[in-house]
Amino acid sequence: MMNVHELAKACGFTYFSGANAEARPVCGAYCCDLLSWVIGRAGDEDALVTVMSNTNVMAVAVMADLPCVILSEGVKPDERALEKAIENDIIVLSSPDPTYATAVKIYEVLKSV
Amino acid sequence: MKELSLNILDITYNSIKANAEKIEISISESISANLIQIEIKDNGHGMDHELLEKVTDPFVTTRTTRKVGLGIPLFKQSAEDTDGKFSISSKIGEGTAVYASFRLDHLDRAPIGDISSTMVSLIQANDQIHFIYRHSTDSGEFVLDTDDLHAQLGDVPLSEPAVLSWIGEYIKENLEDIQGGKI
Repeated sequence: MMNVHELAKACGFTYFSGANAEARPVCGAYCCDLLSWVIGRAGDEDALVTVMSNTNVMAVAVMADLPCVILSEGVKPDERALEKAIENDIIVLSSPDPTYATAVKIYEVLKSV
Repeated sequence: MKELSLNILDITYNSIKANAEKIEISISESISANLIQIEIKDNGHGMDHELLEKVTDPFVTTRTTRKVGLGIPLFKQSAEDTDGKFSISSKIGEGTAVYASFRLDHLDRAPIGDISSTMVSLIQANDQIHFIYRHSTDSGEFVLDTDDLHAQLGDVPLSEPAVLSWIGEYIKENLEDIQGGKI
């Protein structure tokens, strides 16, 4: 088991927000861009990996109580999304890799501990 | 959402929660105009200007149990992701109208989905509400009006299984006739 900050460091993800937010445990990743699908499926110890970057992603992170959101492919959150991420203390990370490669990286790192 | 009919169900439940007595659901799909348009209009208690301004923000909701609500924001996103438009208008004491359009051939546009089951489940659970469902395509239009059904059926409730199954078949047959609901 790793916490979200340890995972970010080990995977080399950078922070858009939440660098000082609560270090919640992460045990896996949930990859999906259809936000309504994420609710009720992603677990509360799953990092959400997505290319969606609007404020709805942040609402889903709150609703599904996710430990963090990882935006893949170098996608940047839009202004409003970032505002809400900061306001709600959501950890939003950046990965330059596509979703699959990002998830594999997470898998490898989590497996090694 | 995976199907537009799920968005419709979700938005219609907002109308029901707003104590609407009459809900009009209109779907228009036009291949020639490359456009799908959906409108859900109710005569519920409506919203004031302040709430209306904020209702597309997922961090604002009329629910008291949690601080985020995604029905309207996701419907808006579905429309805008497919080069469509979204609008909502409302007046206290008069009702609310939600409109969304979608570019029909956009790759991210969700299919309409099972609108027949959606209507049947809405009618089944809300027999007291007057539903008017209109569906049009380039080749025609049909309307299902629950007041007409009540007039024909007298005291028989629409929630009777036989009635519901008839309604489901009626919608499917009419959609078939106008080549609707397939895209």
